[in-house]
Amino acid sequence: MMKPSRLSLDALLFLGPAVVLMLAFFVAPIVVNILVSFSDMSQTVRLDGFPTTAQYNKLGKLDPDAFLGFELRGSFYRALALTATFVFLTLFIFNVSFALILALTTTAIPERMGAVFRAIWLLPRMSPSVVYALLWLWVVDSSERGLLNQVWLLFASEPINLRLDHPMLVIVVANGLIGASLGMIIFTSAIRSIPEHLFHAARADGAGPLSIVRHVVLPALRWPISYITIYQALALLVSFEYIFLIMGPARSTMTMAMLSYTRTLAPQVGGGQYAYGAAIAMILIVIGIVVALAMWRLANMKALLQKPRIEVNG
Amino acid sequence: MARVDLHALTKTWDKATAVAGIDLSIDDGEFVAILGPSGCGKSTTLFLLAGVYLPSSGDILFDGTRVNEVEARHRNVGIVFQSYALYPNMSVLQNILFPTRFQKTPDAERRAREMGELVQITELLDRRPSELSGGQQQRVALARALIKRPNLLLLDEPLSNLDATLRLTMRAEIRRLTRDLGVTTILVTHDQLEATTMADRVVCMNAGRIEQVGTAEDLYMRPETTFVAGFIGSPPINLIPLPTPGVDAQGQTQPQTLGLRPEMLHAGESGLPLQIDHVEVMGRETLYSGTGPNGALRFLEPTAQPRWSMGDRVHLDFAPADSILFDAAGRRLPDATARRTE
Amino acid sequence: MTDWTALATRSRRARQTRLGVLTLFLTLVSIPVAVPYIWMVMIAFTARRGMAETGTLWPALLVIVAGLAVYGLVLWRSGRERTALVAGALTGLGLGLVLLGNDLHLNNFRFMVNANIIEDLKGQATAGGQFPWVWEAFFNSLILAGSQTIIVVTVSTLAAYYLSRFSFRGRSAFLQSLLVLQAFPAITLVIPIFLIVFWVGLLNTLYAPILVLTALELPFFIFIMKGFFDAVPWDIEMSAMTDGASRRQAFWMVVLPQVRVGMIAIGVFAFIKGWEEYVFVNGLRTGNSYWVMSTYLYYVRQDVMGVDYGMVAAVAVLYVLPALVLYLFCQKYLTQMTLGGVKG
Repeated sequence: MMKPSRLSLDALLFLGPAVVLMLAFFVAPIVVNILVSFSDMSQTVRLDGFPTTAQYNKLGKLDPDAFLGFELRGSFYRALALTATFVFLTLFIFNVSFALILALTTTAIPERMGAVFRAIWLLPRMSPSVVYALLWLWVVDSSERGLLNQVWLLFASEPINLRLDHPMLVIVVANGLIGASLGMIIFTSAIRSIPEHLFHAARADGAGPLSIVRHVVLPALRWPISYITIYQALALLVSFEYIFLIMGPARSTMTMAMLSYTRTLAPQVGGGQYAYGAAIAMILIVIGIVVALAMWRLANMKALLQKPRIEVNG
Repeated sequence: MARVDLHALTKTWDKATAVAGIDLSIDDGEFVAILGPSGCGKSTTLFLLAGVYLPSSGDILFDGTRVNEVEARHRNVGIVFQSYALYPNMSVLQNILFPTRFQKTPDAERRAREMGELVQITELLDRRPSELSGGQQQRVALARALIKRPNLLLLDEPLSNLDATLRLTMRAEIRRLTRDLGVTTILVTHDQLEATTMADRVVCMNAGRIEQVGTAEDLYMRPETTFVAGFIGSPPINLIPLPTPGVDAQGQTQPQTLGLRPEMLHAGESGLPLQIDHVEVMGRETLYSGTGPNGALRFLEPTAQPRWSMGDRVHLDFAPADSILFDAAGRRLPDATARRTE
Repeated sequence: MTDWTALATRSRRARQTRLGVLTLFLTLVSIPVAVPYIWMVMIAFTARRGMAETGTLWPALLVIVAGLAVYGLVLWRSGRERTALVAGALTGLGLGLVLLGNDLHLNNFRFMVNANIIEDLKGQATAGGQFPWVWEAFFNSLILAGSQTIIVVTVSTLAAYYLSRFSFRGRSAFLQSLLVLQAFPAITLVIPIFLIVFWVGLLNTLYAPILVLTALELPFFIFIMKGFFDAVPWDIEMSAMTDGASRRQAFWMVVLPQVRVGMIAIGVFAFIKGWEEYVFVNGLRTGNSYWVMSTYLYYVRQDVMGVDYGMVAAVAVLYVLPALVLYLFCQKYLTQMTLGGVKG
C-alpha cells in the first residue's frame, strides 16, 4: 500500500486550494449569514443584540389565527408576490418555452444559419451587465428619442414610458432575453446528441417534422428541460443585478432579492441594514438549499461517483 | 526477462471478487494466454501484474522476488491495451520514446527508430496517432511497450479492434517479435483461436478462478471441467446429462454428464436418435443440429455437400474413447472410469 | 400508379416553405436583440451633439440588410461561399460609405487619449479628480479578470483531476456537497461575503473580488473539468505509468494535454465573468478605492457623462469589445462543454 504521507500530500496539493477558497468565501458566508440574520447588525458592522429574531419579525409575525400560523408584513408580502410573478413569468415564457423554440428552430435550418441566430441570442449574455442595462435604458427611454418610442409613434400618438407604466414587463423581458440563451444552448446540444439514425428511422416510418419533434426530440429533452426549469427558477429567484441596473430602487420592482440588496449594499441607496438584508437572504438561502437538494435527483450519481481505476498514487 | 509466479492471488472490490485466489507459474520467455469470457477476472489479473491494481491478498513474484508493493513504473513491464492508449498529443516517435524519458537509455532515438523498423512503421514516425489505421496504431503500441526491454510484456485483447485479415497477420507478427526478443509474454483474450494459435500454454479462467492450464490440445481433448469443455471449441461440444445416480453401490463416483465433440459423432443406423432441424454449410464441412430424446445435439460431417436435410431422422454413433465424462460437480472423470461405465 | 415527380416537387416545396417560415420567424425575433447593439455602435461613431440619435441607425440597418441580401442572392445563384461573402461585404461597404461616410467620426472616443476628460467636461470643481482615466479602469478590469481566470482554471483543474482519478475517504460525500454548492445561488451571499471581506481587511482591494469570484465559480467549474477528466481513457494513464511515469508525471505529460479544451472553455467563461462583474466589485468597496470598467461605465452614465450619449456609447463599445472578441474566437471550445453530472 502507499504510504499515507504521499496520499495526503497529493490531496493537499490537488484539492487543498479549492477547499480553502470554497470554505472561506462560500461555506463561511452561509454560516455568517445565519448568525447575522439573528442580530441587530447595522452600519456599525457589529454583531449587536445576538441572538434576536427582530429581523424576522420585520418580515412577518406569528399569528395563531392566520392560515399558515403567521402573517406577513405588508412590504415583505409585496416583495414575495412580486418575486413570484417575476420568476413565474420569466421562467415559463422565456427561459423554458422560448429557449425550446429557439433550439428547435435553429437546429431545423442549415447549420451555419442556425449558428448565426444563436450567436445573436448570446449577445446579451456575453455583454457586460452594465452595458446591457444601458441599452435597455436607452431603448425604453420615455422621450421620443427612445428607440422603442420611435417605432411606437409610427402607430400611436403618445410616447410610452415602459419603466413607469409596465415595470414588470421590463424586468421580465430584460431577464428573459438573457435567460433564453442558456436553455437554448443546453437544448441545442441535447438535440445534437440524439443519434442520427433515430431521425432516419422516424422519417422512414413516415413521421413529418412535427411528429419527429413530438416523438423523437421532446422525449430526449425531458431531463434538460427539468434541469433548466429548476436551475433557472433558482437563478431568477435570487437575481437582482439587471433589475437594479435598469429599474434602480423602484418600489414597483422591489423583489425579495432587490429588497435585501437595496437595504444593504446598493450604491448610493444602500442603508447598511445588514441584519435585515441577511434575514431576507436567509429565506432565499433556505429555498436555494431545498432546490439544490432537489437537483440531486437530476444528477447522474452513478457516473458522478464512478470509482477510480488506478489504485497506486506513486 | 523474467519468470513470473502468482501465489493465491486475490483481488476483491467493495462487494465483488474479481480474482479469487489463483496460482500460476510462467517460465522465462514463455508465451501464456489467459482465456475466458468477459468478467472472468482476466483483465484484473493483467492489471495486478502491471502494478496498476494492488492485490487484496496473495503474492506476485518476478524471478522469485515479491513485487506486490512495487509501483507500476518500477516493474519494467510493457503493456499493449485494447484501445492501444497512444498519447494523442504526441507524434508516433514521441510515443515510442515516452518510456525512455524515465530511464537512462543511451541512444534513445536510434533505439526508437530500430523499434519502428522492427514493427515496420518507419515511414509513420512523424505522424499523429489519430492519422494512423488500427493496425498501425497497434504496431506503435507494441514498439512503445518493447523499447525499454521489458521483463514482461502484457497484451490486453490487442487484436480485438482489428479486422479479420489484419488480425491474422498481427497474430503471426506478435508471435515472431516475442520469440525473437525472448520476452515473457502474457496475452489476455476472450478469443480461443487467438489464445490457442499464439500461446505456448493457455490458462482458462472463469469467475475469478483458473479452470485449467495446458496446451491448446489439452484444453480441447482433455478439458478438466464442463466449463472448459463448453468454452473451447467451435461449434461447441454437446453436453448430454446422464440419468445415473451420483454415486453407485460401491461408493464410486458416477458420471453425470457426457461430453461429445460434434466431429466425433457419426450419423448411421444405430445410436442416439435425432431429428435434424437445421443444416449449415461451413466451407469444407457441414454442421447439422437437431433435437432428440437427449435434447439438442450438433454433429459435423467433413463434406461440403449436405448428406441430410431438414426433417431427416438419423442415429448418431460414437467411439467410447472419444467421449468425455464429468461428475456431478462438472469435473472430468479419469478415462478409466469412463471406459468401465461404457 | 405513384407520380414520383409530383411527390418530389411537393416535398421540395414543403421543405423550402418550412425553411422560409423558420428563417423569417428567427429573423423577426432576433431583430429586437441585435438592433440595440447596432444602435450603440452607431451612436458611438456618429453622435455629434451628445444625444442618443437614431438618425444614423436606419441607414446603417439598410446597409446591413442590403449586404445580407446581396450575400444571400449571390450564394443562391452561384453557390460559392467566398464570392458571396466578398460581394456582400463590398455592397455593404460601398453603400455604407455613400450613406454614412460623412457622419462617421472618432470624436466620441477622445476620452481614450484625454486623461482629464471629466474635468474638462464638467469643470474641475464638480468632478474634483474623482474619476480616473479610462485606462486605469481598463487595466484594473484586465487584472481582475485575468488573475481570476488563471487562479480558477488552475485550482479547478487540480481539484477535478483529484476527484476524477483518486479514491479517498469521503470522496462521495465531498462530491455530493460540491453538487449542492454548484446549484447554490451564490449571489444571495453578497452581504456575508462583504462582512467577511471587511473583517479580514481585504475591503477596497482588488484581491477581494478576485478571490470571491474564484471561490464562487469553483464548484461549477470543478464539475465541468471533472467531466473532461472522466472522458480521458484510463488506458492512457495506466500506459504512462507502466511506461515509467509517476502519477504526477502521467497527469502532467499525458492527461493534462487531453483536457486542454476544457481548460480553455472554463478560462473564457471565467474571464468574461470577471470582465463583466458588477455586483461583487461594487459591493466590496466602500468608496472609490479602485475602478474597473463596470463601475466606471455605471458612474459615467449615471452622473458624469449622462448627457453625452455619444461618449457613453463609446465607453460601452470599448468595454464590450474584449469580451465579444474573446467569445467569437473561442466559441468552438465553449460548445464542447457538457454540464457535469446531468443526465443527458
